[in-house]
Amino acid sequence: MSRLDRQSFLGPNSDVILNAATVGFVGGGGGGSHAVQQSAHMGIGGYVNVDPDIIEDTNTNRLVGGTLADVASKLPKVEIAERLIRGLQPGARVISVPDDWHKAADDLKLCDVIVGAVDSFRAREELERFARKHLIPYIDIGMDVHDLGKNGFLVCGQVILSMPGAPCMRCCGFITDERLAQEAKRYGAAGSRPQVVWSNGVLASTAIGLMTQLLTPWHPNPPTFVFLDYDGNRGTMTRNPRMDVLKNHVCPHHPADETGDPLFDIRTQAFTPRPVAKAKTLPGEPVPWWRCAWNMLTGWAS
Amino acid sequence: MNIRFKITSALLAAIRADLRRPHAFAHERIGFIAAGLAAAHDNLLILARAYRPVPDDQYLRDASVGAMISAQAIRAARQWAMDDRAAIFHVHSHGGRGVPGFSGVDKRENAKFVPNFVAVAPHAVHGAIVLSDTAAFGQVWLDRASPQPFIASFSEVGVPIRNWRAA
Repeated sequence: MSRLDRQSFLGPNSDVILNAATVGFVGGGGGGSHAVQQSAHMGIGGYVNVDPDIIEDTNTNRLVGGTLADVASKLPKVEIAERLIRGLQPGARVISVPDDWHKAADDLKLCDVIVGAVDSFRAREELERFARKHLIPYIDIGMDVHDLGKNGFLVCGQVILSMPGAPCMRCCGFITDERLAQEAKRYGAAGSRPQVVWSNGVLASTAIGLMTQLLTPWHPNPPTFVFLDYDGNRGTMTRNPRMDVLKNHVCPHHPADETGDPLFDIRTQAFTPRPVAKAKTLPGEPVPWWRCAWNMLTGWAS
Repeated sequence: MNIRFKITSALLAAIRADLRRPHAFAHERIGFIAAGLAAAHDNLLILARAYRPVPDDQYLRDASVGAMISAQAIRAARQWAMDDRAAIFHVHSHGGRGVPGFSGVDKRENAKFVPNFVAVAPHAVHGAIVLSDTAAFGQVWLDRASPQPFIASFSEVGVPIRNWRAA
């Protein structure tokens, strides 16, 4: 019996498929940390985790796996994610990039799916365009809290599956020039946006459900375009009406001839293997005796 | 270098459906796939964009092969490579299940005409692909002189995503 036995309804080869898959997680905060954790539980074998930030005190209300000790030691969010994965998948293929996602472009190009849990519309659009150019399904999650005045607050969000050729986030009306312009105008002026763990959890869980459908679907004909609205006040996740309106819509924003690198030239392209990452001990893992001894010796020597 | 070919399920299904159509005298059909290219570490990604079938009147009568196409058909594909800065792949199907392979005739003909694409669009790689009903197999010309590696893996991007190793 394997630890994944209870999900055997995903198919006779689901363990192998999930283990062979590599998923990119861009954004390791409230939404991304949930998504990574669930992927590790499910047995996903490959991870490209990207986030430039370290954990801060104000992240601990929602960053799954993050501890106060991590705050004290200023741990990068991607290292927390890696520790979480290794606790369930010791042999996982994990690439942790504590930087902007553009610095992880080559690693992300090799992913089967990219899950984006980023804050801005601009970052979403850039990530989606990157995914489309490389024929990678992109799943976007995001939440927001709106002040309703006397009526309190509205907790809401969205989950969008953007497949190459299918409607994109512009087709959805989710990304618009107006929204991008408004965002650019407030850039640097906005304070921290409200975020809570439970809604992030709902959105990330839904995204991981979609990711699983992509890799090893458990029912026939899952949709190739998904746009779901989350209403945290009503406690609902509903199909956005555009899901039906855009069912057979061909996306005009990402034409097929934009696929690939427009400047690619085989005559000048260097193909160099990814440098092998040095083995490291993650915080919270026991340090092997030989490394303690080595540290002592090298410490004395210096 | 590890070579990976990616194509959407929708495009692959359209290609298979087109190649299944009977021709008046040819025993099989032929088409061309245009693709974009990208590099990731030591991986070459071939990213299929579009498909164009060879028109009915550009097949030649040749009983010794499954299908023979005219110089006009090759010229049109070469023009496509130049106009769109695209990688061009000759494609036909053997049907059946599992990873297919090139026949002796395929190998001979590929070696004759694929270098023509390299001549007109040397910035890109070009090649040939043979499909089955469930998988694919292919070979790539990097330039006119180097050995021609096989495509190591294919990804069919749809729901579900299907990956298979071919070489």
